Amino acid sequence: MMLLFASCANEDSTLDMKGLISPNGPTVGTRFEQSMAYNATRGEMHLDMQADDYSIYVCTDSHITRKTHRNLDYFIAQYRAETAPKLALHLGDVIDAQKNFPCADSILHFPGQTIKDTVFVTPGNHDIYFKQWDIYRDFFKSSVYWFDTRNGTKKLDLFICLDSAEGELGVAQMNWLRAFLDEKSKEGYRRIIVFSHTHLWKLDASQGHTSNMALEATYEFTSLLAQYGVECYWCGHQHARQLVRFKGVTYRVLNATKDSESGQSYMIAHMGEHITYDYIDYPKE
Amino acid sequence: MKKTLLFLLLSALSAALSAANPGFGDRRYSVLGMVEYSYNKTWGHHANFDIQSLMPINPHFEMEARLQFSTANVHSGALQLRPKFELPVGELFLETDVYYRAFARNRIGDITAALGVGYRMDYVSITLGVFSRVIDDWNRSWYTDDNFVVEPFNLLYRIEVFCRPQNNNWNLSFMFSNIDDYQMERMWQPLFGIGAWYDINEHWRLNFMAQCKPTGMFHLDATFYGATGRVGFTYRF
Repeated sequence: MMLLFASCANEDSTLDMKGLISPNGPTVGTRFEQSMAYNATRGEMHLDMQADDYSIYVCTDSHITRKTHRNLDYFIAQYRAETAPKLALHLGDVIDAQKNFPCADSILHFPGQTIKDTVFVTPGNHDIYFKQWDIYRDFFKSSVYWFDTRNGTKKLDLFICLDSAEGELGVAQMNWLRAFLDEKSKEGYRRIIVFSHTHLWKLDASQGHTSNMALEATYEFTSLLAQYGVECYWCGHQHARQLVRFKGVTYRVLNATKDSESGQSYMIAHMGEHITYDYIDYPKE
Repeated sequence: MKKTLLFLLLSALSAALSAANPGFGDRRYSVLGMVEYSYNKTWGHHANFDIQSLMPINPHFEMEARLQFSTANVHSGALQLRPKFELPVGELFLETDVYYRAFARNRIGDITAALGVGYRMDYVSITLGVFSRVIDDWNRSWYTDDNFVVEPFNLLYRIEVFCRPQNNNWNLSFMFSNIDDYQMERMWQPLFGIGAWYDINEHWRLNFMAQCKPTGMFHLDATFYGATGRVGFTYRF
């Protein structure tokens, strides 16, 4: 145990072992407040896709380091090469550990999540290790936000990004989500999609030691999504693809984008009247 | 002759072991009633009311039945079957648990079944096992794509360390586990507890328990999620 904690002192360590017993930075309540404050200054995000049908490129758990980010490079290149209307999501754990955000910036070219040709990001636990929330905020501005897609003035789909980096949503974020869904579910969107980092079900041992939310939180959250007709919940965290349909909501966990893991893939969701999915394997090294 | 000698030897050994090990915690037929104050970030402040019954059917088999009613509109029932075998040092037991939690507020049922092996000594009790969970929506239609969720494999663990021998008339214990009397959490969602009892007289025992549930420990970003304090009396027949 002493050795584990001693590893915290090593600036190249990849695991922030202090986090085993205490928060390693501002907790989700604080991050939510700061995100809402930023959202209020930025204003609403409406993406005009200029078509009813468009594609969403989705990846997760790239765990990039200064040494390796091959798969994320590939994902970004494929996304940028797409000529059809598109947007992209990264479902968290962009980086592996401390001091890698500048590297993420050079790959993803984040100007803040305000323009169409960008990648919308949700924080994972690795992104906020080592008290990195302030750095994350410098790059990505907000961990809880929403945007919608439109075709001209016609509303298409509503996307809600939630902060579940430490395996819980917190009281304030859940209250906000309940009120927000109550309001937006009446506005005639084609569908509502929620995305975050933490997966909700423990179907097998593929997740290793990664935690889920507490059971009480899992059932409250899934009931809330079902109550307001959310169609999908997309997430990562466990590095293994998984599909669950429960209470009318489809829970889709994606493979990782991490270079050192084999058999990984990203997802393209083709959004139209219905959603169809393609999973694209990353090329072998 | 050999059989007779073997029988006498085993009888003598058995008697010696019985004298050396009078049993753990003076387990008698008993009924326990408790009230709980509880808080978690999902349900907020709430109260729980518990009824438990211990039935030591014979020296090698006991049962426990438990019910909990909560103002959070989540109600739980548990049945525990425990065959046990005294060893030269300590006691080995098998544990079969079935828990059902009715999350009425969410219209969700959660049923878990566990199989474990435990070892109990004067100052330590350890249980290790596996459990499976089925989660179902009360309103699920058979005519949709919806399904129940099965979590087939979870590790069960419980380590409790006591300050006094378990058959003492008072005790204080510290517990690290992912299960308690009414819930089985996922293996990476541990619970930390403190328990105590004091025997007021031959029949009445005062019980106390406090428990903390952090979340995100194995995200390496632990935060407080919930806590429970429980007090009540046991009547032992």
